[in-house]
Amino acid sequence: MDERLEKALAFSNYRVTIDNRKKAIKRRYETMSVVYYNDGVFVADPQTISFIGTLSVDSGGATVLDEKDRPIDIPDLLAFKQTLLEAYHTAMNEYADEMKKLAKARDVKKAMDW
Amino acid sequence: MVMTTGVAFFAYNNSKIDYSKLATLAALYVKRHMANNTTCLITDEGTWEWMTDTVKDIRLDDAFDEVVLTDVVHPTNIRSNYDSPWTQFKSEFKNSNKHRVLEYTPFDQTLLLDIDYIVQNNSLDNLFNTDASVALFHDAESLAGLRPGPNEQRLHELGIPMLWSTAVYFDRNNKLTKMFFDLWAHIADNYDYYQFLYGFPGTLYRTDYCVSIAAHIMNGMTDGDIIEAIPGKMINMSQKDDIAKINSIDDWVYLVNNRMENWKDSVTRIKGENVHVMNKRALGRHYPYLTKLFEEAK
Repeated sequence: MDERLEKALAFSNYRVTIDNRKKAIKRRYETMSVVYYNDGVFVADPQTISFIGTLSVDSGGATVLDEKDRPIDIPDLLAFKQTLLEAYHTAMNEYADEMKKLAKARDVKKAMDW
Repeated sequence: MVMTTGVAFFAYNNSKIDYSKLATLAALYVKRHMANNTTCLITDEGTWEWMTDTVKDIRLDDAFDEVVLTDVVHPTNIRSNYDSPWTQFKSEFKNSNKHRVLEYTPFDQTLLLDIDYIVQNNSLDNLFNTDASVALFHDAESLAGLRPGPNEQRLHELGIPMLWSTAVYFDRNNKLTKMFFDLWAHIADNYDYYQFLYGFPGTLYRTDYCVSIAAHIMNGMTDGDIIEAIPGKMINMSQKDDIAKINSIDDWVYLVNNRMENWKDSVTRIKGENVHVMNKRALGRHYPYLTKLFEEAK
């Protein structure tokens, strides 16, 4: 095989592996970002955190739509914001750690911790 | 009133797959990760005897809190299995009484899991804190993050969406729950008719089809959320994928088979995610090592 093609194919396989791993790390982040609160399902993403933060400036409680478009009563917005922030930080810190480890992995074996 | 909660598994052995060992492993993972971790094994006398004779590397009491013995004659249901693209075998698939979990379960709130669904985080615990009557996965993706094939997105190319019966949460005190399981039983009893009506393929009795049709009917013949969706997508390891290496109890490396070009595999590593490990023989190959890890982690 042409050496140029051989090298490119080896790199291509490496990229597929890295991409698979990135998707798995992202999926784990998404799982960890889900927050159940008062029978509602929320995602601790920047939009939700900002919105709850904005609402909490003017009022103690409010009704908001969850991920399934159901109105959910949130009696204590500040406590809910805190819950969202905790989920966000936990998920994001793990995401960042795993991505850093992956960035340092220069071959498939290292990426897989083989 | 205190509600009892727990996780149930069905395991009926056949001559090709030792479901009892896989159920033991799945229960150990539930014990490790979930707070609602009282477990119940639903099985038959033959499988239970086999299990008590052969499961030596782990104490069954560590895996199961309750055992329900059933006496059901399962109709013939032959399933074609793969173990990587290169090995194919047929086996008897005994799933005809899955809908009867409502009468078998000792819990008020039950999470029914297939024995090849490996729980590696506590996200499913949240279901027990909701007011859902029944919840299942409405969507799935492969280890490589791809959507399922067209025949597993919908029952028919113009048909209703596919729901997954791999993980079924239910609250037995809810009237809708009873209606759902009664309807599932009715669809199972009239499977040929519903196959004709909904146009799903194959000769295998699949409970995924039953729950999809039951949800569709209960939603007023439209899409809807009367049967709630478990958040996220179920991660499916295909029967043509393989487990390449176990780094630790919750850190596995997989070979991901290329659907279009079966001679190609890529690798991926999944840590702390729940995975539907459909290649049961691959799971069986790693059972001795995994149970050893569980014993060491005690």
